[in-house]
Amino acid sequence: MPEAPLLEVRELHAGYGKAEVLEGVSLTVQPGEFVALVGNNGAGKSTLLKAVMGLVRGRGQILYRARELLGTPAHLRAALGIGYVPEGRRVFPGLTVEENLKVGAYRLQQEARLRQQLERIYAIFPRLAERRRQVASSLSGGEQQMLAIGRALMLDPSLLIVDEISMGLAPAVVDEILRVLEEKHRSGLAILLADQNARKMLAVADRGYVLETGRITLAGRAGDLRRDPSVVEAYLRAL
Amino acid sequence: MLLANLVEGMTIGSLYALMALGLSLVYGILRVLDIANAGAYTLGAYVGVLTWRLTSSWWLALLAGAAVASGLGWLLQRHLYVPILASGPIVPLIASIGVFTALEEAYRLLFGPYILKLPARIPLPTVRIAGTVVSGVQLLVLMVAVAAFAGIALLLDRTRTGLAWRATAQDRETAEAMGIDVGAVTGRIFLLGYALAAAAGVLVAIHYNAVSPTMGDMPAYKMLAIIVLGGLGSPFGTVAASLLIGLVETFVAAYVGFLLPRDAIAFAALILILLLRPQGLFARGVAAR
Repeated sequence: MPEAPLLEVRELHAGYGKAEVLEGVSLTVQPGEFVALVGNNGAGKSTLLKAVMGLVRGRGQILYRARELLGTPAHLRAALGIGYVPEGRRVFPGLTVEENLKVGAYRLQQEARLRQQLERIYAIFPRLAERRRQVASSLSGGEQQMLAIGRALMLDPSLLIVDEISMGLAPAVVDEILRVLEEKHRSGLAILLADQNARKMLAVADRGYVLETGRITLAGRAGDLRRDPSVVEAYLRAL
Repeated sequence: MLLANLVEGMTIGSLYALMALGLSLVYGILRVLDIANAGAYTLGAYVGVLTWRLTSSWWLALLAGAAVASGLGWLLQRHLYVPILASGPIVPLIASIGVFTALEEAYRLLFGPYILKLPARIPLPTVRIAGTVVSGVQLLVLMVAVAAFAGIALLLDRTRTGLAWRATAQDRETAEAMGIDVGAVTGRIFLLGYALAAAAGVLVAIHYNAVSPTMGDMPAYKMLAIIVLGGLGSPFGTVAASLLIGLVETFVAAYVGFLLPRDAIAFAALILILLLRPQGLFARGVAAR
């Protein structure tokens, strides 16, 4: 008997205006599972993740802990335990590192809890602690990525949605960040990660989905996908 | 003479700052150049006149003007600007010009094309500093302005609400994903932005003892120039630019005023400064994005 999924997307259609980007996507994330979303630019990865967060409209079903999300405004979804790392990091450039983290915990009212969470994030990313009073726009790309992840972890989510981590970052930095994600995963966090770098993602994920022009074309265990000839041909060879 | 001009320049600058700060907050949150904000300035003045006629109370006039204009601001963002936001910055700009023109015509129809008076007596003493007279009205303007700036600075820098406002201004979508109700934030900023403009309107009405349907024309354009000068969306820069323009136009008008009318001096100064510093006095604010 399999566990009830943490996140279940069923026949999701979504897009911008009249242009439909997702044409009936279904996927699941089990509690504590690390799921990779593989696909080229424009395949619809970001749109799918944004639809889960409520930042684009969708038709179909998005169930989180068996609760329908589609009618829930975006700002209330964060409070349900979903953390979000947007594409391009999107740290608040004019806010300090600490203020960015505080925005991630906006729903948290008690000052003591807030301090505790800040210290937890600083323990994960000591470099953010050193720069806590700097404005985010002065950080390097890697530090901004850490900040975006730290911000999404401030509320102790059950599900972390990550849209691109490797873009524009040095491989060593990407590995460092992936190690943090793996660690959080080992301590029970479910992760849904979309990235261009299929090789690195499939090396750390439990399962994967391949998204092509708005449809899931392949799904399976990460290890199997890594050996799948069509995946190798399309996503792994050039890298 | 010097000191008198300094006081008057600070008074004018403070009035500009109240208005421009509202416009700047509204611009910061939606990236809309909201000309209709100057309509709230006039609305505040008219509501102030009506309230004063009923109650003879200057502070009730100020409160009522701010409250009614707040309502207008809230309605405009909710039912006009936010729905058309996706069509780019030009569409809301044109819409706001339309609203401003419609408001002015409405004032003309309702109150007539005359100048109404608001001869409220301010219960503040006339102060003499080194032989210069600071009138009660000037004192009131300065006090309201300082209170408003200090309050807004504290709100933005020291409170959770202020943090949410700044985050929303910098990245609306991400702020929403972090759990901030950006619709509610926008509504509150319009409440405040329109209240500030209306407060300036009531104070101007008392200062000059005059209210007319087109009193918002000149401020509408001047405030646009001032918020550009202040670095678009930067509250500190906006206040600094307002005070600078208030002082420059007062001093130039006092010493070489026979050449040009006051507003022409203000615009000449704005053009000159913007030619020298096209990025504004303080190249931060939105540019950080």
